[in-house]
Amino acid sequence: MATDDLTLVKRVRGGDQRAFKLLVERYQRKVYAVALGMLKDKEDAMDVSQEAFVKVYKYLDHFKGDSSFYTWLYRITVNICIDVMRRKGASGGETEEFDESVANDLSEARIGALGSRLGTNPQKSALRRELAEKIQEALATVPEKHRAILLLREIEGMSYEDLSRTLDIPKGTVMSRLFHARAKVQKILSEYLELDEAKSGVGSE
Amino acid sequence: MAGNPACERFVPLLSPYIDGELSPTDRVNVERHLGACRDCASRAADLRAESALLRVGLEMAVDEVDFKDFTQRVMARVTPERPPLLERLRISLSEMFLYHRTAMVSSLATAAALALVVIPMVMNQNDAPMGYGADRMRVSAVRATEGAKVAPVVLESDDGNTIIWVVDQEAAPAHDGSESRPKAGNPPDESDELDGEPLKKGPAKTVPPKGGEL
Repeated sequence: MATDDLTLVKRVRGGDQRAFKLLVERYQRKVYAVALGMLKDKEDAMDVSQEAFVKVYKYLDHFKGDSSFYTWLYRITVNICIDVMRRKGASGGETEEFDESVANDLSEARIGALGSRLGTNPQKSALRRELAEKIQEALATVPEKHRAILLLREIEGMSYEDLSRTLDIPKGTVMSRLFHARAKVQKILSEYLELDEAKSGVGSE
Repeated sequence: MAGNPACERFVPLLSPYIDGELSPTDRVNVERHLGACRDCASRAADLRAESALLRVGLEMAVDEVDFKDFTQRVMARVTPERPPLLERLRISLSEMFLYHRTAMVSSLATAAALALVVIPMVMNQNDAPMGYGADRMRVSAVRATEGAKVAPVVLESDDGNTIIWVVDQEAAPAHDGSESRPKAGNPPDESDELDGEPLKKGPAKTVPPKGGEL
């Protein structure tokens, strides 16, 4: 059994450096994935990931322990990402009016295109791979706050409750932002699918 | 939108549905609708496919990265592992002599002149000379070897920065509080003249932070 986060945090506070190393090793990939999804740039993502852990270490005394360690870690990560985007002046995606566009989201390009083309059939792994490579581009079109929620949900599998705590927003907002973020990503991916079909001739499968 | 007006109500629930975040009542309603509406069933399939795609896509990207040094680099930043002070000094000094000989000589000259004024203010201190901001930093005077001509003052701040202040011992009094023996040729009165003046001290040589890499 792996030692749980809070026990490790306590040990770090007691001066145990190895405990912090374990925490870093436990979360490094996921923190990096979130940063990469947010920023798209590999080097920036790496810098942010390191910065996040350094900050966590530095402010460990401020961590109350009333929430999970990882929600705190991810909040710090997302905040650093947003800072970096602001500094670079390229937050990507649209602004908050995004939420108003429910009607647009409902008129999806092609219902079922993604699901039916991908399904769970391993034979289609080539297409899946191709689309997976487009994921970061698709993510870049999603407003930063929506993007953060989507990433934390998919990478960490956070519950809506945890998302609400991590990002300090009501659960209803979590739900609606996730919905819109997914609609947006879906739209982009469907467009790729269509392009792909146009290239290879319709019904090539 | 396929003509079913119920879809409008259910579409926003599909995302929390695939996340398993609906109340039992809502879930039953959604499932009943999905059984009857092919479009919404397809939408739910789309959402699942997208969710899987996102995970796979990011995993692929993360797999490309080598995390071998990640922990080490983080740890180096939070706990700068440093060789003993003396060792670091030797390295810094030898680097200075190697790469900045000219700068070194002129800064030594400056330091020597400065030392005449500053040292009397700090001479009664052995390990932590006064006037170097010891309240904010760790300050100590170090002699690399017995009877070394250079006994630099090392100022270390908490963020890993190190300032090494080199003074020429030939021209300056020793730090151990022994009698000041100004070198012949130096105006012996200079220190007295300036004594007591609120002199600003400045490092003769600033060495870039060494914390992480040493």
